[in-house]
Amino acid sequence: MKVLLIEDDQETSAYVARGLREQGHVVDLAATGRDGLFLATEGGHDVLIVDRMLPGLDGIGLVQAFRGTGVKAPVLFLTALGGVGDRVRGLDAGGDDYLVKPFAFAELLARVNALARRPPLSDTPTVLQAGDLEMDLLGRTVTRGGKTIDLQPREFQLLAFLMRNLDRVVTRTMLLEAVWDFHFDPKTNIVESHISRLRSKLSQYGGAELIHTLRGSGYALRAPPPDDP
Amino acid sequence: MIRIVLPRLLRVASFRFAAFYVAVFAGSALVLGIAVFFEARSALQQQMTARIETEVTFLRVEFQSEGLAHLIDIVRKRGQGASALDYLVQDRTGAHLAGEVPATPGLTPGWTRIEVPQASEDGGRPERVRALVSDLGDGVLLAVGGDLQQVDNLEKAIATAFLWTIGLAAMLGIVGGVLLSRAFLRRVDAISRTAEAIIDGDLTRRVPTRGTGDDLDRLAGTLNHMLDRIGILMESLRQVSSDVAHDLRTPLTRLYQRLEGTRTHAQSMADYESAIDAATGEAQRLLDIFSALLRIAQVEGASPRSGFGDVDLSAVAETVADAYRPDAEEAGHALTATITQGVVVSGDKELLTQALANLVENALRHTPPGTRIDIRLEGSTETGARLSVEDDGPGVAETDLPHLTDRFYRGERSRTTPGNGLGLSLVSAVAELHGARLELDAVKPGLRVVLFFPAAEKSSHPNRQPSI
Repeated sequence: MKVLLIEDDQETSAYVARGLREQGHVVDLAATGRDGLFLATEGGHDVLIVDRMLPGLDGIGLVQAFRGTGVKAPVLFLTALGGVGDRVRGLDAGGDDYLVKPFAFAELLARVNALARRPPLSDTPTVLQAGDLEMDLLGRTVTRGGKTIDLQPREFQLLAFLMRNLDRVVTRTMLLEAVWDFHFDPKTNIVESHISRLRSKLSQYGGAELIHTLRGSGYALRAPPPDDP
Repeated sequence: MIRIVLPRLLRVASFRFAAFYVAVFAGSALVLGIAVFFEARSALQQQMTARIETEVTFLRVEFQSEGLAHLIDIVRKRGQGASALDYLVQDRTGAHLAGEVPATPGLTPGWTRIEVPQASEDGGRPERVRALVSDLGDGVLLAVGGDLQQVDNLEKAIATAFLWTIGLAAMLGIVGGVLLSRAFLRRVDAISRTAEAIIDGDLTRRVPTRGTGDDLDRLAGTLNHMLDRIGILMESLRQVSSDVAHDLRTPLTRLYQRLEGTRTHAQSMADYESAIDAATGEAQRLLDIFSALLRIAQVEGASPRSGFGDVDLSAVAETVADAYRPDAEEAGHALTATITQGVVVSGDKELLTQALANLVENALRHTPPGTRIDIRLEGSTETGARLSVEDDGPGVAETDLPHLTDRFYRGERSRTTPGNGLGLSLVSAVAELHGARLELDAVKPGLRVVLFFPAAEKSSHPNRQPSI
């Protein structure tokens, strides 16, 4: 996929670009808001990564500007601010996600992947499926191999988020934000304990492991290959 | 010295007031003086006119009944007496018949002024006489006049008295103004000297007060109060800087030593890898400390109520309790929550969530397995809320209690557990931002942390509820 990175700090820019290229993405670079605006309006990008503080035109003004010219690609803000209400301002301006520096590359990659394949709102399905696991978002029921699985409301949200991002890596931070609306880093194993409960509930009637732990980056829900026993 | 002081004096407000009052006083005295002056003069003139008219009427009657000779006789007698009036009788030819006023040509009936030369008195200065001339018949003219000198003298006396009064008052006013202004200037100078000393770095200086409770004293009191407050803030800032320096130096040094040690001693790829893992972990801890400090600083620096909204505190408490329950159970703790529904406070949801999460994490981290942790939310939107996190663990030493919210402070017992000593500092900052009161109690056994939130949107007073 094609990513536009608008970032004035050379080190960060090189670090992110290198990582994304290693993952097989095409990366365009801009070091100022003006260059960024020019490249963004040329179009063709799947995701825009925009630093909040740029010389010339700041990130928020920039995103407002190219949203005004009809650029619809999702925007991930990078910021060193991370202040109270700062994230809200970024999202209000037309950003889709927000990442506070310093960040691990795995975190950035997971978020970029999630953004790039985010389906338009109207296409959001009401039934999610992964192998023999089925989730009815309206009826709020979960079945595996036809057997109903009882989930706590929070576990249901957790599973729904994982299923919407089927086969994609989601990080611990993404889960904290999406499921609990926690925008800080808890020093305990909240996510781990919830995942392990969810795992044991999902496999209570047997079946292959669906939720995979990826050391150092996060979790991914994967449907087992059909021929898997 | 005078050159420097005088222009400054002129600019002092109290001097200007004094000058203004002197001018107003002098002006009114002048108006009063002029009024008195003209009133007195006109009264004197009326009195003289009445006397002259009476005398003329009398003499006319005498002349008509007794004749010219009798008139001349009377006038001569009057002239010998101590009469205040001056007389002249002259005939149709202008010849002087009687009276001390010399014959004056061209006299016509009516009021006139006659100059009477004085040879001996007043150094020859002519006496001015205001006279009523009347034609008695047969060409005989009678003039009766009053000396204007008396009126002049009185006028001079009144004018002199008023001029002295005004002059003295102006002098006193100016001297008083200067003295007042110098006193005022001295005190203002004292304030600016203090301010300058503080600018130069001596924050212990205070503006002198005289204990009189006047406006300047009250101003000085307020300034001193402000300086005390700034002093406290500076002290806490200094404390924070030195804490930061101290608490970051240790992990930074460790990081440096580890990297340097690896450079010298590492034998294999595996050695390098484990060293890099350790260094990354250390850097992560440093970053955590930094973001915690930054967060606290942002919360402390945020203006209250900016970005505040209605926060469903019950939902926040529910979410946090939910989030930590599996974790607590895995660690062998019992996490219970007693939450009153529908409690709304005015605040920042994200910060309140984090504050409560910090309290729960603290309880989880610093207590042994088997400890009961209770989250409790009481009160209502209208009366204010009471949010508490209580455990029955080993608790905190009484001596540690007041320091728990200090940055980087860690009680004796928690030295060995992970953490950076910033969790409660953030809770304290969040509480302050929300106008909530934070209370830490050693409940023996255990620790109870309570946040008292004010009633939403009404008063800023924390709602005091009896503790359980």
